[in-house]
Amino acid sequence: MKINLKRNYKHYLMLTPFFLMFIVFFVYPIIYGIYTSFYKWDGIHIPEFVGLDNYSKVLNARTTKLAYKNIINYVLITVPIGMIVSFILAIIIQAMPRKWGNFFKSAYFLPSVIPLYLAASVWKWILAADVGLVNVLFSKIGLQQVAWLTDPKYMLYSLIIVDVWVSAGFNMIIMIAGINDIPESLYDAAKVDGANKFQEIINITIPQLIPTLFFTTTWGFISALQVFEAPWILTGSTYMSYGGNRNALLFPVMDMLGKGFGSLKFGQAAAYGVILAFVILFFTSIQFLINKKIKK
Amino acid sequence: MSFYLLQKRTGQLFHWVLALFFLVIAVFPIYWMINVVFSPEGIPVSLDPRLYPSSLSGGIAKIKDIFFERGFLNAYYVSFIYAGATVLLSITLTSMAAYEFGLYDFPGKRFLFAFAMFALIMPKTVSMIPLYLTVTNKFNWLNTFKGLIIPGLADVFGLFMLRQFIEQIPKDLIDAARVDGASHFSIYYKIVLPLSKNAIFTLAILIFNRTWGQLTWPMIIEQEQNMYTVSRIINWFNQPDTWVTSDSVMAANFMAAIPPLIVFLFFQNYVMKGVAYTGIKG
Repeated sequence: MKINLKRNYKHYLMLTPFFLMFIVFFVYPIIYGIYTSFYKWDGIHIPEFVGLDNYSKVLNARTTKLAYKNIINYVLITVPIGMIVSFILAIIIQAMPRKWGNFFKSAYFLPSVIPLYLAASVWKWILAADVGLVNVLFSKIGLQQVAWLTDPKYMLYSLIIVDVWVSAGFNMIIMIAGINDIPESLYDAAKVDGANKFQEIINITIPQLIPTLFFTTTWGFISALQVFEAPWILTGSTYMSYGGNRNALLFPVMDMLGKGFGSLKFGQAAAYGVILAFVILFFTSIQFLINKKIKK
Repeated sequence: MSFYLLQKRTGQLFHWVLALFFLVIAVFPIYWMINVVFSPEGIPVSLDPRLYPSSLSGGIAKIKDIFFERGFLNAYYVSFIYAGATVLLSITLTSMAAYEFGLYDFPGKRFLFAFAMFALIMPKTVSMIPLYLTVTNKFNWLNTFKGLIIPGLADVFGLFMLRQFIEQIPKDLIDAARVDGASHFSIYYKIVLPLSKNAIFTLAILIFNRTWGQLTWPMIIEQEQNMYTVSRIINWFNQPDTWVTSDSVMAANFMAAIPPLIVFLFFQNYVMKGVAYTGIKG
């Protein structure tokens, strides 16, 4: 054992900086979060043990139900639209002569270069009432102005526009990489059979691309469940007041941070985080299992 | 013209129309942002829409205003330190770890790697509250650069990506260096690092863009204005109580977009390779 350690210590030495940071700022906070979730704590005074009280408070809060209702609506719309748009972009580029393809690929990717919070801030001023470009154009052509950012009927769609605008180019790149891996011989065979472009896409590209589509959908799904920055900016939220008009853009992460920093209920905020983690891990493991089946 | 040819032509026309339609949607908002910034001061573009930038001096005046009157200059400084230090330190940590995982066998290797990869399935946002409590209560790093930078350094994606690359370095090369008397650390420093230049550069760009685009953590840990990042300032501009005009917000947006746009302009291939490689938004 002694000799072993002597021979191997250099390996552990090189690993120490990474794992020190990893344990202190990732593993420990998770455990600390679970611990805190059983206490009533304002962050200043001595924490008081309350058992499962925080969990029942969070689960029964009206805002929690609203946040989960909103997130379900959001995820179910934004993920499929995002995937369809990214797929169309990938197909458009794939069918182009190489030179043009590279140009369009860069242009379509451009929005993905912009940070999410920034995209929200740019779109906010395009969609704004009175001064926003869309509404200015609407009134120029005699249409009624639309309150994209304050009317609960439209707010979710404004967020989806921002989300799809930013993430489509990014998913497109992954899909193009997947399409490039499809053997050319499959397409040649289809051509011999007289298939047109559309039939090629349906019969070859999509079935061959399923692992890639599954991967991008999974990631889109998991990150959509944690949506925060874009709705936060679009609604001009603060810790004291967030979620926009009638809480139409209230989402779990937002609600969790509000509980912590707005009302200084860190125990409840921690419990909120634990619940959300379980929800996300639940979906991750389902997707993991499906993925295993697909690969078989 | 045969029916087949006609069908083909129509298909091609549809293809290009669709391509241009998406091109406009992708690029126009960015163009519009530039257009709003470079327009005469005091006359909102929205009241008098023009489709091209019309005043260079107006744009410069707006940018000057947010830089010197609204604390944007300091935010720029904070953001560059944040992004720069994160790139340097994070790559140091992850490349050292990737060197061990990629080239050597030692007891506990598989366990340690799986332990780190566990982070990939743990949703990060969820640990924000306890991370804040840890950093402020145990380290007292509220409103400091340390609090901003250090918690984000152990980058598991970086570790994964660099390990994949370093694994492919021929073992003969390492053995030859060892026979020549090179120490464990100098093999890392003098052979492995230079050979992984490309992968490291791709990762550096990925980390820079990601850090520059970070809002949630800076918002949590930096609560005083002298430590606001660019992202936090823009968040603040968008709050209803600040009464910043749309011109100023757009000028701030424009200046915040410049670093990632420049990086993209010069290192396009690295940026897209990074995406295709890790599958994760930078």
